[in-house]
Amino acid sequence: MKSEWTAAKGFVVAGLIALLSGALFGVIGSWQHVIPGVVDAIPFVKSRPLHVSLVIAWIFLTAVGGVYHYLPKIVGAPLHSTRLAWLHLAIFIGTGIAVVVSYFMGRFGGREYWEFPPVLGIPIVASWLLLIYNFFRTANKHKGPWPAYLWMWGTGIVFFLITYTEANLYLFPHFTGNMVRELTVQWKAYGALTGSWNLLVYGTAMVVMERSTGNTAIARSKTAFLLFGLGFTNLLFGWAHHIYPVPSALWIRVLAYGVSMTEWIILARMIRQWRGTLEEGKRGQGSMTGRFLFASEAWVFINLGLALLISIPAINLFTHGTHITVAHAMGSTIGINTTILFASVFFISSAPITKNLRVGFWLFNGSLLVFWLCLVGAGMVKGYYTVLSDLPFQSIMLRARPFIVGFAVSGVGLFIGLWMLTWAGVRTLLRTPGDPAELDIHSAFLVEGPGSPAPENGHAVRQGSTTTLQP
Amino acid sequence: MALRDEVQVGSKDPSGFGVHRKRFVYFALIGLFVVQSGLTYTTSTEVPDSAATLSEQARHGEALYREFNCTACHQFYGLGGYMGPDLTNVISAEGKGPAYAKVFILYGTGRMPAMGVSEEQADALVAFLGAVSATGTYPVRNMDLTVWGTYREMHTDEK
Ligand code: HEC
Repeated sequence: MKSEWTAAKGFVVAGLIALLSGALFGVIGSWQHVIPGVVDAIPFVKSRPLHVSLVIAWIFLTAVGGVYHYLPKIVGAPLHSTRLAWLHLAIFIGTGIAVVVSYFMGRFGGREYWEFPPVLGIPIVASWLLLIYNFFRTANKHKGPWPAYLWMWGTGIVFFLITYTEANLYLFPHFTGNMVRELTVQWKAYGALTGSWNLLVYGTAMVVMERSTGNTAIARSKTAFLLFGLGFTNLLFGWAHHIYPVPSALWIRVLAYGVSMTEWIILARMIRQWRGTLEEGKRGQGSMTGRFLFASEAWVFINLGLALLISIPAINLFTHGTHITVAHAMGSTIGINTTILFASVFFISSAPITKNLRVGFWLFNGSLLVFWLCLVGAGMVKGYYTVLSDLPFQSIMLRARPFIVGFAVSGVGLFIGLWMLTWAGVRTLLRTPGDPAELDIHSAFLVEGPGSPAPENGHAVRQGSTTTLQP
Repeated sequence: MALRDEVQVGSKDPSGFGVHRKRFVYFALIGLFVVQSGLTYTTSTEVPDSAATLSEQARHGEALYREFNCTACHQFYGLGGYMGPDLTNVISAEGKGPAYAKVFILYGTGRMPAMGVSEEQADALVAFLGAVSATGTYPVRNMDLTVWGTYREMHTDEK
C-alpha cells in the first residue's frame, strides 16, 4: 500500500520541479521584453510556451497529487486503484517531457495556453480518464452527503475534460472556417478551463483548511455550497468577459456581464468578514500551511476586486489586451493558486517553519505584489494610449517601459522566493518517509474551542512514520 | 474566507440545503450549459459568414500562424501574446496593408525575429490576416459609455 501515497507525492514533487523550471523560463521571457534577443538559445517563441505549459503543469500536478493524497483520508477507504494513480503519473510526466521537447524543437500547436502540438492532448485526455474513474470509484465510498470540496473536485475533474475537448474543436473545419466563431469557442473553452482548475485548487484549500484545523463543519456549511454554486455558475456562463471586443453575438456578452457581476457577492462577503479572516490568519502563523492559506485570502481579495472591475465592459474597453489582463492572470495563478498549492505541499510534507522558509515566503509575496503592480501600471499606460491616442505600438510600449523593467526585476525576486520554497518543499517531501505527518501540523494549527470535532478516520490512520492508510 | 466563523457546529444539516435540491440545481445548471454550448457553436457571431469565412489560402495561413506560433507575440482582438502589436486590422489599417505586413513577416525587424517564412507562406499568412481584418475593428475607439457600465457600438467602429 506504500505506493498509494508515493504516487501522490510523485505528483507533488514533479509539480514543484515543473514550477521552478517554468518560473525560470518566465524570467527569461520577461527579460526578453526588456532586452530584445537576450538568451538567444531560447527565443521568446519558445520561452513563452515553456513557461506557460510548465506552470500550468505545476497547478495540475500538485492539485491532482493533493486529490490522490487526501481523498482516501476523506473517504476513510483506500484509493480505488493505486496502480492507476501511478499510471496517471507516468503518462503525465511522459507527456510533459514530450511537450518540452517539442517546444525546444520548434514544433508548436500555436494555440494560446496549449502551444504544443495537439496530438499530445491524446495522452493527457487518456490519463485524465484514469483520474475520473479512480476519483469517482473512491469518492463513492464516502458515507453521508458529500462535503463541498468533493463536489468541487468532482466537477473540476469532469469539466476539465469537457473544456479541454472543447478547446480542441478548432481541429474541425466548422470552427476554424469562421474566425469569430473560432475565437468565441476557444475562449468559451478557456474560461471554463481555468474555472475547472480553480475548482480543483479551491477544493484543495478547503480540504487543507479542514484537515489543518480539524473543523469539519466548514465544508458542509451553506456558505461553502453557495461559494461553490457561484463559482460553478461563473465557470459555465461567465467566460465571455474575456472576449467583449470580439464581434460575437450580443447575447453571449450580455450573459457573461450579468453572470460575472454575481461575484460581487463574494467580495462583499470577504469585506464583511475581514476581521474574522485576520484573526484566523493570526492563528495560522504557527505553520507554513496557515501562512499560505492566509496569503491566499489576501490574494483572492485583491484579484477578485480587479477581476470584477475588468469584467465591466466600459472598463474592459481600456484594460482588455493590456498587461492588466496579465496582472489578473498572474495574480490568480501565482497569488491564489500557487499559494494554496504551497499550503497543501507544506501540509503534506509537514515542513517546520525555518528561517529560509520565512524569507522565501516574504520574498515570494512581496515580489509578487511589486510584479502585479508593475503589470497594472504597464496595462494602464497601454490601455490609455491605445484607446485614446494615435501613437504607434512601439511608442506606447516605450512609455510603459519603466513598468516593464520593474516587472522583469521583481520577477527575479519572485523566482528566488519560489526557489527557496520549492527547495524546502522537495527536501521535506523526500525526507518524510511513509505517510507524511499530518498530525504534527495539526497540533501546530489547532483551533481551540468548539467547532473542532476530533479528527476522524483519515487522521487516525497514521501510526509510526512508515505506516500508511490501511485498506 | 473565514468560513469557520459563521459555521453552526452540531446542526444536523449544516448546509440547510438537502442533497436532492443540490443535485437538482446542479444538473439544471449543466442543462443550461448544454443549451448555451449548442447556441454558441451555431449562433456565436454577428459577423455575416461571407465576411468571417476563410478562403482556402487563408486557412493555410491560419495553420501557418499556429505553426510559427505567432500568437506568442501577437494578438487578435486583444487576445494573445504581448510582445508585438495586435494584428486584427494590420491589413485594413491606414498606412499599413498586405505589402507592409509581408515585409515584417519575411524579414522581421530588430524586435520581431525573422522566422524563416517562405514567399508562399508569407502570402498565405497575409491572406489570413486580411480575412481577420474583414471581421471587425479592434481596438474599439469610437464608443459611447452607458450608465450600465457597457458601451454602445461594442464592436462596430465604422467611422
Ligand atoms: C518574438 C515575438 C514575435 C513573433 C514570434 C512574431 N512577431 Fe510579428 N512582431 C513582433 C514585434 C515586436 C513587432 C513590432 C516590430 C517593430 O515595430 O519593430 C511585430 C510586428 C509584426 C507585424 C507588423 C504589425 C504592425 O502593425 O506594424 C506583422 C504583420 C507581424 N509582426 C506578423 C507576424 C507573423 C505573421 C508572425 C508569425 C509568423 C509573427 N509576426 C511572429 C514580434 C513577433
